[in-house]
Amino acid sequence: MSIYNPKHITRKSSISVEYFFNFAKNSFGLELFNPDSNLTREIKDQNLNRTGIALTGFLELFPENRVQIFGNTEYRYLRNLSDEQRKNAINRIFEYDIPCIVVTDNNTPTPDMIECAKSSRIPIFTSKFSTTKISYFMSDFLDDQFAPGISIHGSFVDVYGAGMLFVGKSGIGKSEVALDLIERGHRLVADDVVLITKKGEGILIGAGTNISEHFMEIRGIGIIDIRSMFGIRAIRFQKRLEVVIELEIWDKNKEYTRTGLDDTTINVMDIEVPYVRVPIVPGKNITVISEIIALNYLLKHYGYDAAKVFQNKLTDEIKRKSKSDRSVKYFEHDFE
Amino acid sequence: MIEKTVKIINSAGLHTRPAATIVKLAAKYESEFTIVKDGLNINGKSIIGVMTLAAEKGSDVTLSFEGDDEEEMCATIVEYFERGFDEL
Repeated sequence: MSIYNPKHITRKSSISVEYFFNFAKNSFGLELFNPDSNLTREIKDQNLNRTGIALTGFLELFPENRVQIFGNTEYRYLRNLSDEQRKNAINRIFEYDIPCIVVTDNNTPTPDMIECAKSSRIPIFTSKFSTTKISYFMSDFLDDQFAPGISIHGSFVDVYGAGMLFVGKSGIGKSEVALDLIERGHRLVADDVVLITKKGEGILIGAGTNISEHFMEIRGIGIIDIRSMFGIRAIRFQKRLEVVIELEIWDKNKEYTRTGLDDTTINVMDIEVPYVRVPIVPGKNITVISEIIALNYLLKHYGYDAAKVFQNKLTDEIKRKSKSDRSVKYFEHDFE
Repeated sequence: MIEKTVKIINSAGLHTRPAATIVKLAAKYESEFTIVKDGLNINGKSIIGVMTLAAEKGSDVTLSFEGDDEEEMCATIVEYFERGFDEL
């Protein structure tokens, strides 16, 4: 069971160094050392590589698709080599089809590097930040760029701070539930087309598209714009996906959870997300139920699970009763 | 499931009027209807979804149909695309 077709998952296979640089320049001041270099080269791996061990000559598993980092350690190592050794070490790196080099900690490219970059036109960037810090900045950007994504047909609403995705067949009333929730002060993230991106391990972020933004279709009325109708408080641009609610016509052959003891989840791009199936029956207020699902999710998150607490109470009570029964019977005939 | 790739041939592209017609045509059938363009897949029965594609003249979109009446549905929708949304 899935709420999307896995073959529709999209993932970038590469980004150009130019695209990377345009972002890096503005957000963490990366500078281009050799402007005559070829910026159309492509980064095909989201991870970074410290050139350290490759400089020493160990080139097995050398990840040539990654951004290559020269930090203080590499510079200290190179300084301890003879001119010839240093030249060879640098040459080894430039022999690969690497996308670009980042020199950290205010270091400047060595003459050997400048020489190699001239012929290969590999871009060399410099940064004033330490290797750890610049790695953090770059990884954050690259992880986001290479993250897998999927577009899902549904309505995505922030309910009391829990990101709830409503899915279900066309015309079942997803948009109407979303609208009702907005009326009650909750915030719409996207309706109809929800873009879900996997961020880091275990986090899914949902957002709308640039075109559809906070527009919505209500059957019988047409297209409405939530932002201009309800204002900025009724919308948000993105939200972590926390609960998936599937609306469906009540099916008496299906079993619906009664206690809530067994947590059901749904797999979204290899991440298990809490999943609730809500059957639609006349007289049932789906909006209120959605709020309750959100509150219950938050309570569980803060360590209180109503179903478990009730279960424990029941077990204690049964234990207490059977214990007292037995002890009374035992002492009744104890005349010593 | 039937899958079919069609080209947008009218000069105005897939704008509001044809988008509305597509969802109206689709609503007559029971089958699931998905449209994919440039990695974005949307439900063909939702007007916001179809409009989000912003499909321009010359672009290709992939239509897929799944359900009991998929064949009739496919024929109707594909024919509407081939007529250039009656704007030729």
